[in-house]
Amino acid sequence: MKNIISTVTLSAVAFVSALAQNPAPAPVQSESIIIMNGTAHIGNGKVIENSVIGFENGKITLIGDATVIKLQEGKYKKKISAFGKHVYPGFINCNSSLGLTEIDLVRSTRDNYEVGDLNPNVRSIIAYNTDSKITPTVRSNGVLMEQIVPSGGTISGQSSVVELDAWNWEDASYKTDEGIHLNWPQMYVAKYPGSDPEDKQRERMNKEMNNIEQFFSEAKAYAMSAPIEKNLRLESMKGLFNGSKKLYVHCGYVKEIESAVLFSKKFGVKMVLVDGQDAWRVSSLLKENNIPVILGRVHSLPPREDDDVDLPYKLPYMLKQAGVTYALSIDGSWQNRNLAFMAGTSAGYGLTKEEALMSITSAPAKILGIDNTVGTLETGKDATLFISSGDALDMRTNNVDAAFINGREINLDNVQKQLNAKYKEKYGLK
Amino acid sequence: MNKRCTIVAVLAFCFQTKAQITFPVNGTTDPKHLTYAFKNAKIFTDYKTSIDSAILIVRDGLVVDAGKNLAIPEDAVLFDLKGKFIYPSLIDIFTDYGLPEVAKRKDNENPQFLSNTKGAYGWNQAIRSDYDANKIFSADSKKADEYRKLCFGSVMTVNKDGIARGTSSFVTLGDGRDNDIVIKDKVAANYSFDKGSSPQDYPSSLMGTIALLRQTYLDAQWYTNGGYKKEYNISLDSWNKNQNLPQVFDAGDKQNELRADKVGDEFGVNYIIKGTGDEYQRITEIKEMNDALIVALNFPDAYDMNDPYDAMNISLGQMKHWELAPTNPAALEKAGIPFALTTADLKDKNIFWKNLRKAIEYGLSEQSALRALTQTPAELLKVNDQVGSLKKGMLANFVITSKNIFDKDAVMYDNWVKGVRYKYLDYDTKDIRGTYSLSIGSLPAVKLRVNGDQGSPDMNVADDTSLAKVSYSRQGGLITLQFEKKKSAPKGTFHLSGYVKDENPNDWNGTGQLPNGDWITWNVKLDSAFIPQAKRDTTKKDSLKLGAVTYPFMAYGWKEMPKQKTVLFKNATVWTNEKEGILQNTDVLIANGKIQKVGKGLSDPAAEVIDATGKNLTSGIIDEHSHICASGDLNEGTQSSSAEVRVADIIDAEDINLYRQLAGGVTSSHILHGSANAIGGQTQLIKERWGASPEKMKFAGWPRFIKFALGENVKQSNWGDRQVTRFPQTRMGVEQVYADYFTRAKEYNPGPSPLPPKGGIAAIPVRRDLELEALKEILDSKRFITCHSYVQSEINMLMHVADSFGFKVNTFTHILEGYKVADKMKAHGVRGASSFADWWAYKYEVYEAIPYNGAIMHDVGLTVAFNSDDAEMARRLNQEAAKAVKYGGVSEEEAWKFVTLNPAKLLRVDDKVGSIKPGKDADVVLWNDNPLCIYAKPLQTYVDGIKYFDVETDKQMRAEILKERARLIQKMTDSKNKGEGTQKPSLKAQTLHHCLEDEYVLIK
Repeated sequence: MKNIISTVTLSAVAFVSALAQNPAPAPVQSESIIIMNGTAHIGNGKVIENSVIGFENGKITLIGDATVIKLQEGKYKKKISAFGKHVYPGFINCNSSLGLTEIDLVRSTRDNYEVGDLNPNVRSIIAYNTDSKITPTVRSNGVLMEQIVPSGGTISGQSSVVELDAWNWEDASYKTDEGIHLNWPQMYVAKYPGSDPEDKQRERMNKEMNNIEQFFSEAKAYAMSAPIEKNLRLESMKGLFNGSKKLYVHCGYVKEIESAVLFSKKFGVKMVLVDGQDAWRVSSLLKENNIPVILGRVHSLPPREDDDVDLPYKLPYMLKQAGVTYALSIDGSWQNRNLAFMAGTSAGYGLTKEEALMSITSAPAKILGIDNTVGTLETGKDATLFISSGDALDMRTNNVDAAFINGREINLDNVQKQLNAKYKEKYGLK
Repeated sequence: MNKRCTIVAVLAFCFQTKAQITFPVNGTTDPKHLTYAFKNAKIFTDYKTSIDSAILIVRDGLVVDAGKNLAIPEDAVLFDLKGKFIYPSLIDIFTDYGLPEVAKRKDNENPQFLSNTKGAYGWNQAIRSDYDANKIFSADSKKADEYRKLCFGSVMTVNKDGIARGTSSFVTLGDGRDNDIVIKDKVAANYSFDKGSSPQDYPSSLMGTIALLRQTYLDAQWYTNGGYKKEYNISLDSWNKNQNLPQVFDAGDKQNELRADKVGDEFGVNYIIKGTGDEYQRITEIKEMNDALIVALNFPDAYDMNDPYDAMNISLGQMKHWELAPTNPAALEKAGIPFALTTADLKDKNIFWKNLRKAIEYGLSEQSALRALTQTPAELLKVNDQVGSLKKGMLANFVITSKNIFDKDAVMYDNWVKGVRYKYLDYDTKDIRGTYSLSIGSLPAVKLRVNGDQGSPDMNVADDTSLAKVSYSRQGGLITLQFEKKKSAPKGTFHLSGYVKDENPNDWNGTGQLPNGDWITWNVKLDSAFIPQAKRDTTKKDSLKLGAVTYPFMAYGWKEMPKQKTVLFKNATVWTNEKEGILQNTDVLIANGKIQKVGKGLSDPAAEVIDATGKNLTSGIIDEHSHICASGDLNEGTQSSSAEVRVADIIDAEDINLYRQLAGGVTSSHILHGSANAIGGQTQLIKERWGASPEKMKFAGWPRFIKFALGENVKQSNWGDRQVTRFPQTRMGVEQVYADYFTRAKEYNPGPSPLPPKGGIAAIPVRRDLELEALKEILDSKRFITCHSYVQSEINMLMHVADSFGFKVNTFTHILEGYKVADKMKAHGVRGASSFADWWAYKYEVYEAIPYNGAIMHDVGLTVAFNSDDAEMARRLNQEAAKAVKYGGVSEEEAWKFVTLNPAKLLRVDDKVGSIKPGKDADVVLWNDNPLCIYAKPLQTYVDGIKYFDVETDKQMRAEILKERARLIQKMTDSKNKGEGTQKPSLKAQTLHHCLEDEYVLIK
């Protein structure tokens, strides 16, 4: 097999005349591979400046310092030089609608928002489109896994974790139906042109709170008994009470966070806070109760006029200081390729670069309950990793030139690269 | 009483005329010439003149005379006021008294292009210049009574509906026949920025409203100058007829007041501007308007800050306004701005006096207060020959009070309207306030507390440890009390009746019934005399420790605007954007707002030296496509063209995003109209001069631009199923919109009618059309287009349209398929393209958008910029520029120009900004790192050599915000504990404007 650089160059040329389409998913790893002399960012805070990383049958079998480790001659069939480059565990994005929406404003391409208020039985994996044109553009920036999340209503449904290279959703799924998503009622009055009157807002808040309480009470009773009649909604909630599923609560206002935590404790469910702009104000509550946070976009505006101008940028650092487990995320599809730059920005505002990296690798893996197999460059874990010619958290230097999912070397081409090549050829540009 | 005689007649011949009326009489006529005399009063003949122990004589509803040593007419009914006070009754200059309630607007589900009003009216339903309040007005005795109780005697009444609201009337607050009540039928013409009940689509924005007002002024002029020969138009005709009246503009907040004033200035109108009471926040600019004001006394209640989480949702600006709103009238007085006060905007009129006294407590002089409620409104409405003072021949509109009207303790006895007495309290009503022992039959005595207002005090009786409210009534010396004891025996309702002794108002006795029905006798004995609260209030001094007015009036506002300085940056990495490239270890000197020198070893004894070793100095970021700092909607998308609207009219200097963008190194933003229509509005380039007034934010010497738009937004692809009738609905139609408008613009030649050919008839003049005027400027290369565009077909189309009309498209903005037609754009001669770095897939027309777009266009030779279109992204445009390095391998030096020099070129201001070159504006940013690096952040941001952002200052400001919030939360809590009204906190969500829709920032 040729070295990676020439593969990339070749594919760019090869696709110039091809139709704009996604490349085929990569075949199973057939030969052992070793990546030599790159700076390995383990994903747990550690860095090996001059590393060797070997993997076979989709699993990492070797990681260490090239100046120390004695390589067994011929053990790894294929050698890739990463000299001067960086190796990272594949980035993991949570709270995503990738594969559920293709073109945001075209209704027929939207499958993320089911009608109805309480839909715990709805499953995102069913609609996950492995042939989305967006996916290859996301993974070519280093995001190799995502949590695909339905939205809408109070309980939107169940999410699954997928690998971003597969023929179909069955193959893509890494952890299926791993959690239920609850949109916590808004617990403050907001005024803006067209907003509902104050009393109506309060009324809705109370009603929604009561509905959730009632539904969870029913679901718990159902889970603890042998029901006379099967109820699909309640059936799907069972996993929350036996600990096999997590409850992802989406909210941001400090009171919402507090009441969601109390609620989860009361029902004995494993809660993950999603978004959580005010999480820093109740960090001790989150820490005491071991509630991790999947933060929304670092690139967002402070929610209140008086807030520190850089509040969203430094929020990861504030949670880190408080000892709360947190991951970064982008709730979207095409935007998700910028996940690394959310981490990069938070590294400009308090986190170290390796801490920032953890927030999009080992931290989300841990929160999603897949940290035994992914999230860091450690032996025994999946060879889901990539090589970037420079610092992957900085857009100037993020340049993924090889990526592996389960040891499968994925094709980094995408429709945008194809169009780029097509028009460069038209204009005779190099 | 004289039922009907014209005012002129009254003045001259009042005492000679016989009473004549036009109405038939059922029964015996009752002619009278009622005459009253009041002696021993302190009389305020006007707001500044008072006469002790004076006499007022009133006859036939008019003042005969007021002064000392007047002969009292023999037929006068004489009142000895024994030291009481007489004031001219107050005037409320801004009410809707006696007019029907304005219907709420029902927005159409389907578009409504033209007015629904039948008849020969103008095209826009919100122009209601034909409305005459006098034809609709009918007195409302209940409401009149409410006003009279507050010492008002007359009001202006206006129909608060529409942008032009027609004429208002001036009326008294008397009861009786409307014919006697209307004093002046058309007293003012009225305007506002609120289209009110008009269901017509246009205007949907403040920009559109201002444009509509301006165009209507022009249309009305044209109508007078000959347009009337072309069409009969009731709206324009009455608009013109109303022009000689006082012009009252119900503007709204301080920024809207400035906007109204600008419209007035353009058409030579000095509006009387009605504001909401926040003028103190921009007093200098308000003063510069040179307009008289009508100001509400609407002081917000304190927020209930018990819940610290909810308290977080209240902004510092809201809290500060609570504290400082009562200083507003004093600030106006101090600034010498003429103003009238009104009860308008008060949720409950009855807090008017409380608020007025508060305003006095906060520095308003009593004389100014009286003037603002008598003389000023009378003068503004030109009715000062009838009301506002008590001079010979004027209406006998006055009130009689126990003491100085502004005294907290004063009571009003009578309110006389046009010589008719409305009695509220007997002159000899005793002050019965005090703390008493109430003895009922053989029951043990209980405490009775009488306090509060002298005229209608509150009365409470002890019931065990709490108090039971006593309801009572007084008639002359008689008094009846009724209360229910719930806690102490005997429980039940007591009914007591008796009298207050004439010689001692604190001695009452009588008979009554116990709850069991037994008749008993009762009496009270004074324990302690009433002490007015004003004298007890020792906290008063504390409450006047006030926070500072900041610019803007919100968090991160300046107490004092930062000043231009001479600054020397030593040893920086300087991104010149000039042929010198990126210079290492270089010094830059800025002074007088300009970059003076770039070089090594520079010195200037006057300069503040900044060690920039290891830091990067760049020119400020310029955002070619922004929607920040705008009041109201940035789309006037109700028609396919809104070339007449101007973003310049609605710059909001109080958008926190201005400050946030400074913190991201942005020094200029091009504020664009949205993309809802093919021909959008006129845009405005601003500089981020945080704290300056809207007018001063504008980029001076910038050529004019206009926003165009193509594609899905314009053809309403994603507007819902009802929005399918506006032309165009396809890209085919979009072309025809342009072809049509430019054809008309080409032919447009406004001016007076040409001389008639011999024997011919003079042609009708061509009116000035703001829409065609803007388009004509494009044809004349005096205005430039920035066009929202996506797919190649439409880009091509607009260039063809431009070519066929002989002009160039200046900028294609968004232009995500620019890479497909970059060669054609170059051939056409566009000035450049301003794109997103990596947006795509959010709608069908961007499905072939690629992040390499910028690099390809750049490589083809176009000037390329990256813009934000988004308040959030704008504060990290440096990161977006870096994407040009990632996608397409543009060099760092060139990529940096994508957000600095290149947008300056597109905006035609590259002679002033966009690079570090001596002579250019000192709009510079000092970064801690390579600005393209994701870890980089601005340390300091300068605009015109003024440092508007500094990380260190920012840190101090954050600390001050926390401190100031804590102080105000404490103060609000104290206010609540004192029993003052409160309101529940809620989050006023920030508005983010986008191309098509507004978004509100919620806590996520």
